[in-house]
Amino acid sequence: MDRLTEVLQQKFGYSAFRDGQKEIIEQVIAGKDVIAILPTGMGKSLLFQLPAYLVEGTVVIVSPLLSLMQDQVEQLKIMGEKRVVAINSFLSFEEKEFVLRNLSTFKFIFTSPEMLQNERFNRMLSTIQIAYIVADEAHCISQWGFDFRPDYLRISSWLKSFKETNVLALTATATKKVVSDIKSTLHMKEPYEFIHSIDRPSIAYEVKELENQQEKVQWIIGRITTTNGPGILYTQSRKKSEFYAEELRNRGIRVAFYHAKMEQDDRILIQQQFQQGKLDWVCATNAFGMGIHKDNIRQIIHDHIPTSIASYVQEVGRAARDGNQSLASLVYTSSDVEQAYYVAMQDFPEDADIQLFYRSESTEIQLPETTTRILSYWKEVLSEQETIDLFRNIKQKKWLEIQSLFSLFQNDLCIREQLLNNFDEYLEKRPSNCCNVCSFDIRDVLEQRNQTEVEKQQLNWVYRLNELLH
Amino acid sequence: MFFHQILLLVIHKFRGERSSTAPFYLLKGKKSGQTIQDVTYFNLHSFFSLYSKLSMEEYKDEISTLLANEYIKSNESTILLTEKGLHQIKSMRKPMYNGWIYRGNEHIFFSRLELVVQTLSYFQASENKFVPNQKDQTVHQFVRTYLIENDFKKPGFVVSLKQQIMDLIGSSSFEDIHRELFVYRLSGYDKSGLTWEQLARYYNKSVLDVKLLFIECLHIALHTINAEKHPDLYILTKDIEVVTPLTESAMKTNLLFEKGYSIEEIAQMRSLKKNTIEDHVIEIVSANRHFPIYPFISNDQLNRVLQISHEFQTKKLKVIRDHVPDLSFFQIRIALTKGET
Repeated sequence: MDRLTEVLQQKFGYSAFRDGQKEIIEQVIAGKDVIAILPTGMGKSLLFQLPAYLVEGTVVIVSPLLSLMQDQVEQLKIMGEKRVVAINSFLSFEEKEFVLRNLSTFKFIFTSPEMLQNERFNRMLSTIQIAYIVADEAHCISQWGFDFRPDYLRISSWLKSFKETNVLALTATATKKVVSDIKSTLHMKEPYEFIHSIDRPSIAYEVKELENQQEKVQWIIGRITTTNGPGILYTQSRKKSEFYAEELRNRGIRVAFYHAKMEQDDRILIQQQFQQGKLDWVCATNAFGMGIHKDNIRQIIHDHIPTSIASYVQEVGRAARDGNQSLASLVYTSSDVEQAYYVAMQDFPEDADIQLFYRSESTEIQLPETTTRILSYWKEVLSEQETIDLFRNIKQKKWLEIQSLFSLFQNDLCIREQLLNNFDEYLEKRPSNCCNVCSFDIRDVLEQRNQTEVEKQQLNWVYRLNELLH
Repeated sequence: MFFHQILLLVIHKFRGERSSTAPFYLLKGKKSGQTIQDVTYFNLHSFFSLYSKLSMEEYKDEISTLLANEYIKSNESTILLTEKGLHQIKSMRKPMYNGWIYRGNEHIFFSRLELVVQTLSYFQASENKFVPNQKDQTVHQFVRTYLIENDFKKPGFVVSLKQQIMDLIGSSSFEDIHRELFVYRLSGYDKSGLTWEQLARYYNKSVLDVKLLFIECLHIALHTINAEKHPDLYILTKDIEVVTPLTESAMKTNLLFEKGYSIEEIAQMRSLKKNTIEDHVIEIVSANRHFPIYPFISNDQLNRVLQISHEFQTKKLKVIRDHVPDLSFFQIRIALTKGET
């Protein structure tokens, strides 16, 4: 057995590598720059975790999504890796001091883009040996990515102090345009590129245009009450997620809602109940999904048009991690496309907002937190007019993106093929259950729901305490 | 309903002398001179800082419901109970809070217990790797030390801890809903706790009511836990009670007083307004009855204020001042605070 497979078995408990993993890891160890595009759930984390045990020094992972960072730290800790830390704004002053003073004792340092401008952090980093740098969720670097984080661009100048260190860029989805942005921002010269197909053969697609909102509600309730879960119903608003959960619960479905306004404790409980199979359906906004480790999700339903193809692909991709047949359904009405545009525009500032932001102290204006963060970045690097033009451009692009997703659903072409084409891929082998445009037999894809009514649970504290501790 | 009753009780205690927002700041635990002083004036210690997450929106909704149902009425700028409201609070059981000494720290106690139970439950299932529900690193650190120091793998530890929990919440101070909330907010192997929304639906109550009942349950628990009967739970209550109930800023002012500086000097040294330092004095006086007040008011003046307050059954500063125009509002506040400690 070679050294890599040995580490894979001992440290990670897997018997063999998945498609592409080994090659990527070899390149990282050889000190090459690497761009790896793999759908979520295809073992992306392993790519930066495993090489760490075969090279000297500390791995620095830059990650723009705090909740994801938290999840990855927890996953490493579960594996028994104690030398791991996340340095971000959640740390208290004392904790940060402690960590910075002991930086070299960590094998994995996770950090957010905003920390990259912290001088003390950088000074301490320059004193330790860095094995390689990881740019996670690298599509957020590009303004063409669906989840653009301008402050992530800080990594570009930051990397200039680590010219000798190789960089591993990871993302689940990226078009050619995004990949080229990633390359130039991360100063990669001839990176090793690995692009895993975004195609998920075990997910069939079904898209239906309906007359009005009531029809949508009827369709969704009909589907969920007659076919099997587990599944996620994605809605556009918190209110809708609560509405559907209520309607479905009244019809005997084990269901809960999930959105960002809930307390963190309760969000964790819903995730757990879903993972433990205590819930069959979760009605959720797009806040649900990250850090969900559940293999047997059979259905994803959308009651709206998502704001980009990439986010649609990502949400749908939470189904069928176990490789068994699953179904992604989407129902929409003709007015939903405007609604999608409206939602997508919420975080973008208007021309007037930008002018105001440039001409006064940022603390004086009330803008959403993300908008303020985005504008603060551009204020440092662009003039007022340039920023206005930039956002006009981005909005225009966004509109086209939503339009292209919309027309993808409306025309008579294969949905799978179109999704692939959008990421510059071509379909190699059509699964027997592809989509409702080409071939698709609902009886193959879904099972009848077992009509087991949920009896109302009676709480009993003595009984429960005995279940928890015995 | 439960929140309504708490609100009615608080409004009742304010005796129609405070505005409709005073109960809000009290329940949120606002650390301002006015709120702290009111705690002492109106003997509202048990309700202070009961629910810091209360939003103004939520609060205003509840107040309008109470107004619409004619449990309360507004009178100029203040609110007070109606006959109907008074009748309502007479029929309710007395809430068993102690907000003044726990101030939200009760949740830290529960977080520790939650992590202990989750850990033990997973270890029993021979799963010694799991993702803790509790994310707070200081809680992690506390529980790690606790488990190691108490040798949690020794035979009998789990059974004994469970027995202590049984004994605690089995006590007659708790109602069944308290006991159920306590246990069903815990999680373990393959047994995830219930969300507030799920619990609220089960009891057909609002989320806010269920949360407030849970807080009451924790306050009763913290009051009941004792070192002999519940040794393993007792350790989890470490530093939960607020020792010096002073805000940090008032504490600094207090130190300067101890060194002999005057209000004016302290205001200058700390670059704060004189008013702020006076608020601190009120806070210090209500927390420490040995704090010398003679530099600010004479015994004779103090007695005059208390007499007027008693005679006219009021704590309104303006009303009192009309009878003692030679005293400042600050002096009257000191007198009223002193009168209640």
